[in-house]
Amino acid sequence: MYLRIIRNDVWRSKVITLTIAAFIIAAALLVSLAAVLVVNLFGAIDSMMLQAKTAHFLQMHSGDINTERLLKFAGQNGNVEEFQILEFLNVDGSQIVLGENSLVDSVQDNGLATQNERFDYLLDLDGNVIHVSDGELYVPIAYMKDGTAKRGDTAVICGKEFKVAGFLRDSQMNSALSTSKRFLVSENDYAQIRNLGAVEYLIEFRLKDLEKLGAFEAAYIAAGLEANGPTVTYPLFRMLSAIADGMMIAVLLLVSVLVVIVAFLCIRFTLLAKIEDETREIGVMKAIGLRVSDIKRIYHAKYAALGLFGCLAGFALSFLFKGILLENIRLYMGNAENASLALLFAIAGVAAVFLAIIAFVSLVLRRFRKISPAEAVRFGAIQEKPAGAGRFTLSQNRLLSTNVFLGVKDVLGRKKLYATMLAVLVIASFIMIVPQNIYSTISSADFITYMGIGNCDMLISIQQTDHMERKAAEINEAMKDDDSIARHVVLVSKMFEVKTEQGTPERIKVELGDHSVFPIQYTKGKAPETGDEIALSGINTDELGKTVGDTITLLLGGKEKSLTVCGIYSDVTNGGKTAKAIFSDNSAEILWYTIAAEFTDSALPETEVEEYAGAFTYAKVAGIEEYLAQVYGSTIDAVKKASYTAVAAALLISALIILLFMKMLLVKDRYSIAVMKSLGFTNSDIKRQYLSRAGLVMILGVLLGTLLASF
Amino acid sequence: MKNIIRCENIVKTFGEGDQQCRTLDGVSAQIGDGEFVAVMGPSGSGKSTLLFALSGMDTTSKGSVYFLGRDLSELKENELADMRRRQMGFIFQQPTLLRNLNILDNIVLPSLRDNRGNATGITRKAQDLMRKTGIAGLEKRDVTQVSGGQLQRAGICRALMSTPEIIFGDEPTGALNSKAAEDIMDIVSEINAGGTAVMLVTHDARVAARAGRVLFMQDGKILSEFQLTKFRKEDLDSRTQKVSDRMREMAI
Ligand SMILES: Nc1ncnc2c1ncn2[C@@H]1O[C@H](COP(=O)(O)OP(=O)(O)OP(=O)(O)O)[C@@H](O)[C@H]1O
Ligand SMILES: [Mg+2]
Repeated sequence: MYLRIIRNDVWRSKVITLTIAAFIIAAALLVSLAAVLVVNLFGAIDSMMLQAKTAHFLQMHSGDINTERLLKFAGQNGNVEEFQILEFLNVDGSQIVLGENSLVDSVQDNGLATQNERFDYLLDLDGNVIHVSDGELYVPIAYMKDGTAKRGDTAVICGKEFKVAGFLRDSQMNSALSTSKRFLVSENDYAQIRNLGAVEYLIEFRLKDLEKLGAFEAAYIAAGLEANGPTVTYPLFRMLSAIADGMMIAVLLLVSVLVVIVAFLCIRFTLLAKIEDETREIGVMKAIGLRVSDIKRIYHAKYAALGLFGCLAGFALSFLFKGILLENIRLYMGNAENASLALLFAIAGVAAVFLAIIAFVSLVLRRFRKISPAEAVRFGAIQEKPAGAGRFTLSQNRLLSTNVFLGVKDVLGRKKLYATMLAVLVIASFIMIVPQNIYSTISSADFITYMGIGNCDMLISIQQTDHMERKAAEINEAMKDDDSIARHVVLVSKMFEVKTEQGTPERIKVELGDHSVFPIQYTKGKAPETGDEIALSGINTDELGKTVGDTITLLLGGKEKSLTVCGIYSDVTNGGKTAKAIFSDNSAEILWYTIAAEFTDSALPETEVEEYAGAFTYAKVAGIEEYLAQVYGSTIDAVKKASYTAVAAALLISALIILLFMKMLLVKDRYSIAVMKSLGFTNSDIKRQYLSRAGLVMILGVLLGTLLASF
Repeated sequence: MKNIIRCENIVKTFGEGDQQCRTLDGVSAQIGDGEFVAVMGPSGSGKSTLLFALSGMDTTSKGSVYFLGRDLSELKENELADMRRRQMGFIFQQPTLLRNLNILDNIVLPSLRDNRGNATGITRKAQDLMRKTGIAGLEKRDVTQVSGGQLQRAGICRALMSTPEIIFGDEPTGALNSKAAEDIMDIVSEINAGGTAVMLVTHDARVAARAGRVLFMQDGKILSEFQLTKFRKEDLDSRTQKVSDRMREMAI
């Protein structure tokens, strides 16, 4: 019998039922996808890191290395399980040619490495440890994704020919966000070209107890060991791998939550309209002795069936879309071991959507209690209160045409009804705008100023060569004489020892120079302006336990220097542990130089960038747009994909909602429409009234949504 | 004779303060086993309100209603619902059936709740009743595909499904033409002859004439009672005349 009730009801309200079904399908689809993606992403990352035996602590270092001292430290520290020092042969991009393509424009630090024996393995696309033969080259997966290299290509590195034998997953440097890329060659080949590039060391540790990573890190720093380069830890490797797809999942989740809310609003609206329509029938059922729970069941039946159908359909559809969205994860990280867990999570998510619908319908149906059988039998349907916009009368209206006026008056009079429609439209524009905002924020040039880099046109860095000071001065002079450079600044990074209260020595990298030329965003405080001020990156403030106004003591060539913390900023460069100051110093060793410049004519940055790259081959020159595209490109792409999906979803939602609500209004208003027609209003008059209602609500909805989204 | 329903001094007020009106103002009455009681009176005199109070569809402000000895004010909402479903039957002025169900499903809906396992038995009983009330063959029809009189008969079938102790009717013939009304009332009389008590609210003397007792109401009070002999169809015209005379006497 319930089947018949459902069937008849669906038949009677096809459009409305279809719309609600569509929302439930969309909600189930999105939730299921998000669940599958989350499990697969983290599952894949974990299996990759397990297979590759990713290092728990990595210290990059360029310059001299004291192997014995490191070995001694590793032997003495109780938490060290395994330890290795790897070489990474930094090769300039111009010296790497893959097939037809040269990596001259790459902002990544490309270099050669050999397979490791103990841990930090480089894996092939099946997740196996690669065994490389002489003459073979394995290329980082990112260069396959962007089409730079194909299997079988001939590659030329520093004049030596290789054959691209395949591609590799690097559990530590896969992500575009980690700016080094390892190419794998055999030991023999490596030995042949070792002296053609700059050797950098990767000092890697596996720990017995990963929980005590923080303590280990502190111990390493305290020991004053090699630290000329970024430090990266296991959790950071994990995060770097997750971030691009993680952003996409976050947008998906946001949209799915909103779609669920929209589905609820629609259900509420249709259900309330139906209850209002059938108050008399409900009252009579109560009168003839049906319990409230029995009556509820009749109304529940339809939504339970609809919910079940929608959730199953959404779940099934998610298998269709899963492949496309998992593609990237599969390529970079491989398959997750716990794929069945993903299925379980997806089922749980979809079941949660279903239960939420049932619970929500119950909640709405609570108002059955209030329907009195006596009144229902006596009066029939309880009449809607008439429009209450009393001061807004037709006879005083001079501004609007009669039809528009009647439409607007109706909206003001039936606030609750239109409020639901408004809420849906607000959410729809929210869905549309928020991902767009995120996208335009992270793709705008200003975004980098939140990440520790000033807003300039070109970044030049000099590191890992000799005579850095002289080379920096050379570029500085060239820029001074160059009319096409509007502003530029030379910043030098040095390592200083910090005097802490506990007496344990800590070391921080400080970038010295004029930080007002290309200012960054400070989350607290401001940039250093005098010689005794210093700004710290977020991670450093946490580690040193300082905040704005505190003082910090550095050791400059054995002498103490007190500095006041003037600002805090967030930073993604150099492992996030940096500081900025403007005092001058000749004591500490130079880590690297960074030269930022802005062009007078910023329309043609490429030619200028190329000019500098050609003139100063020892420096790494990158246009900022190129830099951003390469480093954040995949993240931005993922968000872009998600935000376009969101726009499409939002437009669809808005269209469906307007259709749904207008349809229901027409059913509700059939009586007054008949009256108006008998009074001589034409069909097009009435159409105009309804259009002006929809228009008013839509404009309000979009405005509110936009306002909300911009906070 | 055993009482099915008894009420003592019930008062029902609506509204507050100045606006308050006493719709029932101290009504005492009882309906015996198998008795047929008609309630008459001018519009607004409180007839429907009395029916709602006696059937537990609405509460009273003062006084108690006893159904088979049980005080209705002490029953919970679900207990009242169960009582109405199993022991009372209702026929309303507007036949109220669910639009999404066909005639047969509407009739069996309340009974199915208690006897889910016995669906075939229930369907057979419903078809039996439909034959008796003259609507056999309409089982699969939509509620919009039958006449008002046929709908009312379907409503009666639904009321009879649970073999109730008493049937309540509020102007069951109010919306029907005189021929259809006569047919419906024949069915009601037959039900009553079978031992089921009936309480009918009506304006129509010809309907009230079938009762064994007529209550006249005015301003929330029972003005007087009129006892009639056992009903026989041949006497209908003369009985109607008697009731009409009595009404004129009472200036109703
Ligand atoms: N829910 C209510 N709120 C306020 N007043 C009510 C309510 N229900 C009934 N009344 C009032 O109680 C009085 C009696 O109503 P009732 O429906 O019992 O009269 P009736 O005798 O059945 O009239 P009719 O013959 O027209 O059906 C009326 O004056 C009515 O206005
Ligand atoms: Mg009445």
